[in-house]
Amino acid sequence: MKIFHLPDLGEGLAEAEIREWYVKEGDVVKVDQPLVSMETAKAVVDVPSPYAGKIVQLHGKANEIIKTGAPLISYESDEVVADKGSVVGKLETSEKKWNDGDVIVGGAKKTSTTIKAMPAARVLAQQLNVNLSDVKPTGRDGLITADDVKQHMNQAATSTTALTGATEGLRGVRRVMAQTMAQSHREVVPVTIIEDADLTDLPPKTDITARLLQAIVIAAKEEPALNAWFDGKSLERKVFNEVHIGLAVDSAEGLFVPVIKNAETLADAELRKKVDEYKKSVMDRSVAAKDLQGATITLSNFGMITGKYATPIIVPPAVAILGCGRSRDTVIARNGQMVIGRVMPLSLTFDHRAVTGGEATRFLGAVIRELQK
Amino acid sequence: MAEMTLVEAVNQALAYEMGANADVIVMGEDVARNGGVFRATLGLLDKFGPERILDTPLAESMIAGLAVGMATQGLKPVAEFQFMGFIYPAMDEIINHVARMRNRTRGRLTCPVVFRTPFGAGIHAPEHHSESTEAYFAHTPGLRVVIPSSPARAYGLLLASIRDPDPVVFLEPSRLYRYAKQEVNNDGKALPLDVCFTLRSGEDVTLVTWGAMVKESLAAAETLLASGVSVEVIDVATIKPLDINTILASVEKTGRCVVVHEAPLTCGVGAEIIAQVAEKALFSLKAPPERVTGFDTIVPYAKMEKYYIPSEKRIIEAVNRLMEYA
Repeated sequence: MKIFHLPDLGEGLAEAEIREWYVKEGDVVKVDQPLVSMETAKAVVDVPSPYAGKIVQLHGKANEIIKTGAPLISYESDEVVADKGSVVGKLETSEKKWNDGDVIVGGAKKTSTTIKAMPAARVLAQQLNVNLSDVKPTGRDGLITADDVKQHMNQAATSTTALTGATEGLRGVRRVMAQTMAQSHREVVPVTIIEDADLTDLPPKTDITARLLQAIVIAAKEEPALNAWFDGKSLERKVFNEVHIGLAVDSAEGLFVPVIKNAETLADAELRKKVDEYKKSVMDRSVAAKDLQGATITLSNFGMITGKYATPIIVPPAVAILGCGRSRDTVIARNGQMVIGRVMPLSLTFDHRAVTGGEATRFLGAVIRELQK
Repeated sequence: MAEMTLVEAVNQALAYEMGANADVIVMGEDVARNGGVFRATLGLLDKFGPERILDTPLAESMIAGLAVGMATQGLKPVAEFQFMGFIYPAMDEIINHVARMRNRTRGRLTCPVVFRTPFGAGIHAPEHHSESTEAYFAHTPGLRVVIPSSPARAYGLLLASIRDPDPVVFLEPSRLYRYAKQEVNNDGKALPLDVCFTLRSGEDVTLVTWGAMVKESLAAAETLLASGVSVEVIDVATIKPLDINTILASVEKTGRCVVVHEAPLTCGVGAEIIAQVAEKALFSLKAPPERVTGFDTIVPYAKMEKYYIPSEKRIIEAVNRLMEYA
């Protein structure tokens, strides 16, 4: 129920007299519809309705005096009155509806569980790029500790089992070999191509090693990309005009790679002389340190021992190594006939970061062409 | 079922319980004839008469003191403070008598009063009408602090608060009073106290909030879903005692926790929640937890108000910072 109280109809008037009702109880009225004629000390005025709705009670009859502020008319109202009034502030309203359809009293059901890890372990795992789900927890209630992450890293680094019993630390060239080969394995992207050179038509007693060195010199002129150094960090390469050929020489102490400097300036006999000198100096350990540096390409003539093909390992910063297997007699198809010929198997490894397959295969083709001359 | 706003739901709950329990007395400044400053008590005078709905003088200390007398002697007073900023004259009664009556009398007397008050910013009112100081009450042993965030929860939690045998501070977010309507069944069914409500399930981040900030938090969760971040939104509802187990279970699932509240940062309830998460769920955390809160300032006047209230944008930024951790 809403009650309309008699407003002040003048300036500080205390009361007014009802002259005539324009409405009766039960009427439905509109806002501003005249309700009643009231006479004050100053004038007769019509009082308009402040509300729309059904009138349930008139508080007085004609000729009765009504005090200012006393009830005049009562209206019917809904249980929840649409009253927007507030003394202070402005309340936001919207057409939005609250939808509590999915509200859960308490918590949602668990659908997954997180890995429990010490904060330090999480940071460490992030820094080392370790996936925590791969780490074996040793802490209480399956908690991953920082040590667990370190342990995981160590295991990944040394997948082989630890050595037991008496061990021998690597020294000298064997130690250098271990380090250099591991470095090559980490850094180089190697591709190995294999092919046979047909040496059937070469005159007997040909110096194969000297021919190989010469063939490398000529092939390097044709495809200089293989006679180069490469820096994977700065992505820079240096292509050489001169050809410094590292020659892999086996010894009881380990692998030595003395370098034949400026091979392009040496004739067959000079090359042979240089090879023999190096072999001797390796055997008696007189090889100078400066002679073991600066190779722009390497030759590994392992066929003198045994083996057909190989996947020779490049020594950074060089980008290519040619492996030469054991020459042998074999059946060759020639002009539609099977003939017995002499072939030498060649294996060329190149670093595919610095050398294209085209360059490498043309290089190997040039080597073979020169050998077969 | 009827559609109603949050303030109408408060009105309906009061009317229902006054009808069901003759001991329930409603009192406060302008609550009877005027129907309350926000009309929360509209129509109660006509229905229940001047003996059960009392207009009090402008004297909050007296309102609380009257409530102590009524409550300890068997009545169920539901007293309204017009604004949270007006409650402080009553703090002596609330802290020294209401909160500790059961303990002081060794259980002989209880003080089952409900103190209702609108709170929070966003209605363009002066500053002492806009603050959120729920932490004062949560810090006081012996008080229960309940904050609804929807018409349905206002209805169910107010009924539960009136029926509770101990004192409840019931804080109504004025910004949500008429914000939106909801179908609420006026059937006298209470909702449980001391338990969180999970408003939205998610897998990546737990967003813990209450009161008016539920609005921005739900909006942020919806926006974040579009960028592939699944947010679980928890309405704490009862600030004290805290249902930390629901929060912990969610954080153990998601590994990330953001608390959103309108109250200032320092010593806010968010600090308590983050502390408990750190104590009890640290090893599940994938990222440092964050609080998105009001600032350590008086709530500014109307023009600056929107910069004070944590925005959807600030919430999204916090969530995205946490998502940077794998």
